[in-house]
Amino acid sequence: MIKSFMIFIFFSVIIFSQVETERWGKAEVNYVNFIKHNNHAAKSHSNGIFSYIRDFYGFTFSDLDGDNCPFYPSCSVFFVESVEQTNLFKGALMFADRFTRDSNILKSLKVYPRYSSGKYYDPVVNYTLDNSKIIYLHHEKIYDE
Amino acid sequence: MLKICIIIIFTQGLISAQSIKPNNFFVPENRKSFGHYLYCEKDYLRSVAELREFLKTESDDTLRFQIAKALQNLGKYSESADNFKTLFFSSLREEAKTEYFRSKYQTGNLSDFNFNTKINSYLPNNNLNQISQLTAVSMLLYEDGKIDSHQLMNEFPDSLKPPLKNFYLRKIDPGFKSPTSAAIMSAIIPGMGKIYADEVGDGITAFLAVGLLSFLAYDNFRADHDFRAWLFTGLAAYFYAGNIYGSAAAAQYYNAGIRFNFKNDVEVFINRQNLFLSDYDFWCR
Amino acid sequence: MKSSIKIFLLLTIYLKIVLPQTDLHMQFDYAKTLYDEESYFDAVTEFKRLAYFDSSKIFSFPSNFYIGSSYKYGGFFDNAITYFKRAEINSNIDDEKYEAEIEIIKTNLLRGTFEQALVLLKNLEMNIKSTQQLDDINYWRGWTYMLSDEWGSAAQHFARIDYNHPLKLLCSNVEDDKYSVTFAKLISYILPGFGQFYTGEYLSGLMSLGWNVLWGYVTLESFAEDRVFDGIAVGSLLWLRFYRGNIQNAEKFAKQKNIEIAAKALEYLNSKYQGIKP
Repeated sequence: MIKSFMIFIFFSVIIFSQVETERWGKAEVNYVNFIKHNNHAAKSHSNGIFSYIRDFYGFTFSDLDGDNCPFYPSCSVFFVESVEQTNLFKGALMFADRFTRDSNILKSLKVYPRYSSGKYYDPVVNYTLDNSKIIYLHHEKIYDE
Repeated sequence: MLKICIIIIFTQGLISAQSIKPNNFFVPENRKSFGHYLYCEKDYLRSVAELREFLKTESDDTLRFQIAKALQNLGKYSESADNFKTLFFSSLREEAKTEYFRSKYQTGNLSDFNFNTKINSYLPNNNLNQISQLTAVSMLLYEDGKIDSHQLMNEFPDSLKPPLKNFYLRKIDPGFKSPTSAAIMSAIIPGMGKIYADEVGDGITAFLAVGLLSFLAYDNFRADHDFRAWLFTGLAAYFYAGNIYGSAAAAQYYNAGIRFNFKNDVEVFINRQNLFLSDYDFWCR
Repeated sequence: MKSSIKIFLLLTIYLKIVLPQTDLHMQFDYAKTLYDEESYFDAVTEFKRLAYFDSSKIFSFPSNFYIGSSYKYGGFFDNAITYFKRAEINSNIDDEKYEAEIEIIKTNLLRGTFEQALVLLKNLEMNIKSTQQLDDINYWRGWTYMLSDEWGSAAQHFARIDYNHPLKLLCSNVEDDKYSVTFAKLISYILPGFGQFYTGEYLSGLMSLGWNVLWGYVTLESFAEDRVFDGIAVGSLLWLRFYRGNIQNAEKFAKQKNIEIAAKALEYLNSKYQGIKP
């Protein structure tokens, strides 16, 4: 009995041990983090004219016609981000390609990597034709930013 | 006599009462044993600090080795390698050299690792085989390096040769898909490049979308609905171009997947072989 | 000769018993000073040193307890729980054991493992000694529910301590302020846009109402004029889309507002609440 208890203690130490690699100080506790964790509201972090267009589009259409896009980022956000990362011409081509992927009738057969909100993760960087930027996504993993 | 003793005892008590920390626990010997204890408790950060305090007063190669090992366990590989390097002329030089290469390998900088394996005075005598094995396998992980199949195989026992041969074949012929070919295929038949890049569903969808839009354009031209006809022509051209672009991107992503899986498989192989078997648990028995 | 033996004995006894003990006490005071100065990393080091040289185990409980506490303040919650458990095992009296158990529960709260905290609280409740301890248990249950965003249950548990407990009032207020997600969805089913009105998002509500009226009108007009294909197309592709979107939008707003309300209450607990916190 005592032996098994000791073994349990031993393993609990091994399993739960957090390694300290640097000196640390007092950590601030913020209770708000406990509920903000589950909040996956769309983040708007870009500036410029496109963000205005996107906000307008979001307010008038996209927020009100339901959650129709199975991808993260959603199609309109994908378009704005791809134009921001490349140029208008390339961004438009990437959007057409994304639209094909969205309307793919056999989509359910493919194993897509997931984003933490449960959507298929399909980031812009993998389609800019820049080899060094491509992040290979593992389809068993769940991604978050 | 009695008086002197009482005075000694009294002053001793007085001194230790006045100081903030008890001197007894902070003498070098005690620092050393406490440092050992922390090391075995896997509290490496504090262990390093204690052992270093001890080394301020006395010299001990085993302890310096232990510090380097603790740094390695903390994931501070370059610092650890530097510490092992200082032991190259000590009694522990063989172990230190092996561990030096282990740390160097762990930093992930493979070109640096391979550069160091070419310096003879760095190489240990008894663990040489492990290091040449690691050198051979790490050549597989180079992005673009020529690889000699004999050099790769010779270092390993026969049982490991089939998987290594497999890796070698995958290295010289990874089965990449050319983005240019994918784009050209999609230019000839919409969606074909996507199918070539292993995106069958997307390819069929692209073919159907461009086909449908083209048909609608043709149908409207025939019926003299000029506006609608040009609208569908524009859309068909837009999706046609988008598909050519997307095929090239899909081929690139497919190649990224091949590179990722190859690297992953080689790393799993290296970890499973456990090339550095020796572990220094003689401190914690 | 005799006197020198006496002195020798005296000295040995002094060094063996008195000196180590004072050393340990001094080490404890030193470590405790570091702990009080909030230099928790060094406090952990010194309490570990105390535990290591404390062969008689008289400081087992306080050293493990303070190591756990320091880790807790440093955000190393797993380590904290390990050491609180060691403290619990090395406790000499029931009060010490209880204190360590409560700390384990508090650390579980900070770590976000609420299920675990509730299980531990239930176990603790089975062998309580006083009403004060029962109040404690209900207090920490309340905290568990507050942090896991279940304000109604939290209010119930605080009410068991005192019906006018400040945290009970806070939780009841949050529970009252929160929007009902079901109601927001339900009213949106019946009257598009009204779910958004309910959550105070009047502009979005008007937009939603506008879209639904527009596409509903177009659909019905198409059917009235016997353009069945147009009617089905507009009805399914546009009207239905915006009708479904209106409900989802109302749900999203209600959830978002609820998070804001809860966040405000938690912010109050962060900065203004003076009582005992985990």
